[in-house]
Amino acid sequence: MAQMLFDIAVLLSDGVKYTLGIFVVTIIGSMPLGLLLTFLRMNKSRVSRGVTGFFVYIMRGTPLLLQLYFIYYGLPFIPGMKNVIVLDRLPAAMLAFVLNYSAYFCEIFRGGMLSIDPGQYEAARVLGFSKKQTLLQIILPQMLRVSLPSIANEAITLVKDTALVTVIGVTEILYFAKATVNRQANFTAYAVAALFYLFFNYLMTKLFDYLERKYDF
Amino acid sequence: MKMLEVRNLKKSFGDVQVLDGVSFSVERGEAVAVIGPSGGGKSTMLRCLIGLERADGGDILIEGEPLMENGVYVPDRRMRKVSAKMGMVFQAFNLFPHMTVLDNLTAAPIAVRGMAKKEALEQALERLHEVGLSEKAGVYPRALSGGQKQRVAIARALMMQPDMLLFDEPTSSLDPQLTAEVLAVMKKLVAKRMTMIVVTHEMGFAREAADKVLFMCDRKIVEQGTTSEVFDHPKDPRIRDFISSIL
Repeated sequence: MAQMLFDIAVLLSDGVKYTLGIFVVTIIGSMPLGLLLTFLRMNKSRVSRGVTGFFVYIMRGTPLLLQLYFIYYGLPFIPGMKNVIVLDRLPAAMLAFVLNYSAYFCEIFRGGMLSIDPGQYEAARVLGFSKKQTLLQIILPQMLRVSLPSIANEAITLVKDTALVTVIGVTEILYFAKATVNRQANFTAYAVAALFYLFFNYLMTKLFDYLERKYDF
Repeated sequence: MKMLEVRNLKKSFGDVQVLDGVSFSVERGEAVAVIGPSGGGKSTMLRCLIGLERADGGDILIEGEPLMENGVYVPDRRMRKVSAKMGMVFQAFNLFPHMTVLDNLTAAPIAVRGMAKKEALEQALERLHEVGLSEKAGVYPRALSGGQKQRVAIARALMMQPDMLLFDEPTSSLDPQLTAEVLAVMKKLVAKRMTMIVVTHEMGFAREAADKVLFMCDRKIVEQGTTSEVFDHPKDPRIRDFISSIL
């Protein structure tokens, strides 16, 4: 029994690099993009607010699964795009995830910005801080602290969402689990896959617990 | 030259006029108390002086340098330079919650003045000693009482070596005991001849510590003069009503 579980785990571990790769790229790509969207969405310009608001609406309002299909299969069907945008499975998956998660991070960060007392901006101003210094030294640290529990939520969701990319044939953990289940006519591989996700999310939970304690002011 | 000169200051929020031709001046080393009923425009007047609100008309001169002339503010860069001569202390303290007390004090001198970290630290410890909070240097604002927060806020404002300090109801959110410790720090500043404008409901402080009192009511300065002129021989009946109402 133990040997069998171990054998399955070895099989699935081939997919770990894709699961983690998509996770890391999505976090690194979508958080800065999300922050940029937050600024555009809170900008004075109505055009800027409108365009980012629409982007967020589309990204949050349609299934991530559909966005994956669209970016991988759909882009080449846009007239004139046939040989211009043809993405491999993995880059397509990463692009879809970065765009989708950036919309959520945009709203998380916006919530964090709204929570900041206007008195903080006033104090910074009368002390002579420039706008950039105010943002970097006063506002962003407080905003990120407020956002931390929501960021943790997204990170944990993201670990699980990576399983979606199996539908466009990216060979991550679930892809191998499914293949194993089919070959062995036995569901055990799915249970092992669940353990993989639980393990990664255990690490996530611990990491964010640590960050919340560290930035507890 | 006068430290501050304000002429015919006007300000409306939408249709509601808040300041209707406020004029006064402050000499270097003078402590000015601004008193009057709530909604009389005191805080708005103070906020206009340092650019937190934009007045609609009048002149503001800091040591002869215009911050606003004929209702037009100087360009932002110039404005920052002129208003840097002033510090401000808020009713809600507005300490930076993510920084220790020490970092609250040193952040602006380091970032804005380019002061060396070591020098900023030395000065910060001195300022904290002056407000009696040396032992709180390493704690976060959350762990301080209201009175301690306000003393830190005063120390933080002093770090920028302002020529003039503006206080916007600095003790209005404090209970009497904490009020006393903050007023004690402010009285020390008065004794050192720091130029101060204090919007306050503390009549005791205004009477004891101020060189000059402005009584604001209904969008205007109704009366200004020495403490004995305003408190003991008021010309306007509204002052008597106001003082008897809060005693």
